[in-house]
Amino acid sequence: MKKEITKYYPLIPVFTAYLFLFLVGKNISGMWQLVAMLLFYCAMGQAFNIFLGMTGYVDFGYVAFMGVGTYGMALAITNLAHIEGLGIGIIIIGFILALLMSTLLSMAVGAVALRLRGAYFAIATIGVNEGFRFLIEGARIWNGSEGLIFTAQLNQILGREAASSLMTYWADIMVLFIAALAAFVTLFYMRSKIGYALTALREDEDAAKVMGINVTKYKITAFITSACFAGLVGATSWALKTPYVFPPEVFEIHYTIEAIIIVLLGGAGTLLGPVVGGLIYGISKYYLSIFMPGFQLLIFAPIIIIIIVLFPEGVVGMLKSRTKGSVLARFII
Amino acid sequence: MKQSAIRTLVVFSALFCFFVAGFSLAEAKSAGKIVIGHPACLSGKYAKAGEQAIGGIKACIDWVNNVYGGIKVAGKKIPLKYKYYDCESKKEAVTSLIGRLVTVDKVNVVFSAYSSGLTLRGAPVTESHQMLYMDHGGANNKIFRQGFRYIVQTIGPATSYHQGTLNMIHKIDPKAKKVALAYEDSEFAKMVMHGAEKYAKKLGFNVVFERTYPKGVTDLTPLLSALKASKPDFILGGGHFEDGQLFNRQLADLDIDTKALSLIAAATLPAFYKALTSMAEGVMGPSHWEYGVKYSAGEAKKVGLNWIGPNQDEFVALFKKALGKNIIPDYHAAEAGAQVLAYVLAVEKANSLDSDKVRAALGDLEFMSFYGGWDVDDTGLQVGHSMVDVQWQGGKRVIVWPEEAQTGKPCYPMPTFAEKAKGKIAVP
Amino acid sequence: MFLEQLTGNLIQGIVLGAVYGMATMGLSLIFGVLKVVNVGHGAFIMVGAFVTLWLFNALGINPILAVPVAFAVGMGLGFIFYYTTMQRLIKAPELATLLATFSIGILLEELVKLTFGSEFRGYNWVVGKIDIGVTVLPMSKLYACIGSVIIALLLYLWFNKTRAGSAVRSVVEDSEGARVCGVNVGGAYALSFALGIGLTVASGVLLTMFIPVGINPYMGGGYTLKAFVIAVLGGLSSPYGAFFGGLAFGLIENGSYTLFALIPGVEPFALTRFLSFVMLLAILLIKPTGLLSTK
Repeated sequence: MKKEITKYYPLIPVFTAYLFLFLVGKNISGMWQLVAMLLFYCAMGQAFNIFLGMTGYVDFGYVAFMGVGTYGMALAITNLAHIEGLGIGIIIIGFILALLMSTLLSMAVGAVALRLRGAYFAIATIGVNEGFRFLIEGARIWNGSEGLIFTAQLNQILGREAASSLMTYWADIMVLFIAALAAFVTLFYMRSKIGYALTALREDEDAAKVMGINVTKYKITAFITSACFAGLVGATSWALKTPYVFPPEVFEIHYTIEAIIIVLLGGAGTLLGPVVGGLIYGISKYYLSIFMPGFQLLIFAPIIIIIIVLFPEGVVGMLKSRTKGSVLARFII
Repeated sequence: MKQSAIRTLVVFSALFCFFVAGFSLAEAKSAGKIVIGHPACLSGKYAKAGEQAIGGIKACIDWVNNVYGGIKVAGKKIPLKYKYYDCESKKEAVTSLIGRLVTVDKVNVVFSAYSSGLTLRGAPVTESHQMLYMDHGGANNKIFRQGFRYIVQTIGPATSYHQGTLNMIHKIDPKAKKVALAYEDSEFAKMVMHGAEKYAKKLGFNVVFERTYPKGVTDLTPLLSALKASKPDFILGGGHFEDGQLFNRQLADLDIDTKALSLIAAATLPAFYKALTSMAEGVMGPSHWEYGVKYSAGEAKKVGLNWIGPNQDEFVALFKKALGKNIIPDYHAAEAGAQVLAYVLAVEKANSLDSDKVRAALGDLEFMSFYGGWDVDDTGLQVGHSMVDVQWQGGKRVIVWPEEAQTGKPCYPMPTFAEKAKGKIAVP
Repeated sequence: MFLEQLTGNLIQGIVLGAVYGMATMGLSLIFGVLKVVNVGHGAFIMVGAFVTLWLFNALGINPILAVPVAFAVGMGLGFIFYYTTMQRLIKAPELATLLATFSIGILLEELVKLTFGSEFRGYNWVVGKIDIGVTVLPMSKLYACIGSVIIALLLYLWFNKTRAGSAVRSVVEDSEGARVCGVNVGGAYALSFALGIGLTVASGVLLTMFIPVGINPYMGGGYTLKAFVIAVLGGLSSPYGAFFGGLAFGLIENGSYTLFALIPGVEPFALTRFLSFVMLLAILLIKPTGLLSTK
């Protein structure tokens, strides 16, 4: 029994960080929108880490799952808004649709691209992302490049006041929950058979296969889980908080890069890593844009290069090796 | 070992607390000033337009503070202050920076970031703070059908971009009936295209070609070959900056000659002619504002509107001073600047800084500045500003339409590309 | 009418494809030798474009002469980035190299923006054009095409006829074996990285001869994605494969437009892009060694 509980100790620092963020946002005036941005980065990193951190596969087209999640929510709102009495139900349908669409896409991509490894996998996923975007634009699916704008429908469904607080407050709370849930699932995976299987895979995929581990099954499980969380992040941060969808914006590959940076800064494959990475990334960007407007990318690029070269295991990775054998080690993975 | 671990943890938590503490460190209170907040696009994909907007805003604030003497509220003249951050042209940053502007910097009005998307992203935040939100960079008409209460537009709506060109050709060449439309596949350009298509049909034109090309295109040859085969009398198209240059260049490469060519966004910029030189001769473009427009205090009097602000040359001088660079402002600068003036007039009219009152005053406001007319409808959509059509003639931008704003006659039909390559310039 | 357009587009496609192919050889060379995907590829093309622009507008130097200059600049940049960054990441997981090359790309873009501004520029090199009936070809495009073929041939000769070239080739085939045989593997890595970057920067010159407008710090993104598709068509690790991949890509992109335009209610141009990424996936799955390889 006791062992059961100690298993979940590493969640304590993660949840403390989220709680702290929430309290800062709630109580210090003017912090909420910044906290919302940090939560978005943490959630994105946490979701991305489930697959990248555990398998070492770099999914460059990851943003596509966020994109279809966004479309799931947007489609629910725009198509169902005229039905009276559904109210908040539409948002729930939106979430279900977002999950469904990201699951379907990840299954399709997983079946195809997961046969590839390394750079081939990375390039194939870029292809999926770009191809999907051009299919939407070219075949004029879901209103094509004109996209969907739906604040009016949101107002119609929930009433103006509720819609406004959804867009500026509750959507961020949902992101917080998604981030926390993603952290929980990450730990659950790490502590179960799938985690050990994926660790073996990350070290040496062929050896793992020879040992009789069903590598493909676990890989796909992690891939779909990660994609589902991406869909949820998209549905909240990019549909509920940003009441429009334009295809070039939701399939923007820079978001994948940001997710990679966050995971790498914090430490790939660690539980606490994406939180730490998301915070460092978000906060430093925010301050650079305030104090040195216009130069943040110029400053950021060399810093990232230096970090990759000198600290490839990330902040939490470093912390982990520093605390090995101490009491703290139980909390940091 | 254990100690070092704790030390590391302490260091990290200390750093974290330091960061968080930084959040609440409000700027020195700008007491006695009216502050304009702006999540500007200084870097990223809209950096070009963002720099212009900052220059325009700074120029007009300079004029308000030093020439106009500040905004008169409750009998006192209060100077304006400008607070801007760089949103990197990204939506995540737009909301967090607006959050800071509204609550930490306590600004009195927020100017939107460039583009319809970023403008929309910020709107829910300003709405929830009941903060006036002025849009100088989002042309999508749909922004104003979402029920936002505090948003007011200065840039004209996208659907009207090509109406002037169509009017012009309708009038001076009634025989030209075949129009080809080729726009970028983006929300903004698509909206312009729909507006142009509708208006062209209304005027009795025959749309013989209607296609789009994707954003970031590097070769338009297949599309242009198909366009050539449709034998249009004139072409309307464009999207943003780079594709406009490409469009014109490849028309020249393929020797596709029409009587007129009008491109949105790109054609009116000095860089366009610099890049294309003789190939740009005779090419037209609709613009919200262009150096050389004839709006003046006298003109305002004639049409019975209030006049405010620097005259055109003063504005250009202030703009150059503000950016410290010798560049001529384009319409991104002018519309951002005019927005400052609109705000000044509305505050004085409302005699208050309260967003609700200023918003109401903006709704009733109608005035003219170097930018031209300014008037919004109930939803905040700009309806009082008419666009001008500019044509490159002998390396200079000449305003050829509407007739009352003309600085020269249009050159129609424009010379062929073969003639232009031999040095023929477009003269009426 | 239809056939005439199709033929015209296909001829344009070959000319364009040769330039695209040359613009991808650097990417494939680097991947072939170092197993590193250069995500910052487009930024180096952009550097080449700015070199041309600057030489032409400020010094009046013919774009053809800009090719060797750009190549030298690229070699220099390649050595700098190899010894400061890439050298330490050769054995690191993909994640690190992908992010490193991407950051190098951003760094270049921001540095160029700082020096030249974010204006869209262009130059006008007048050399006439020829009308071949179905379409019109400017001479500058033809020069770019011929230049690409010559560079591809030179690379082929270098690989097969010089000592350094065969050393690099031996590293591609078997880096351990090469080491045993006394090949300086580290040197071969550095040389091929620099050569790859050099080729990419030089290709930026040829691309501006093809499209001499719209030159700005962020112009590279579209080329990076195109280069990925082309590289995969050619087998990802073979520079000549990339060259022929470029030809195939040019033909498909231009040819398919005319076909897609027959479908009502769609945007044919966006669909040509869709098709190219579908091809990318299909080839990766069915024949990851590339369309043209015999393996």
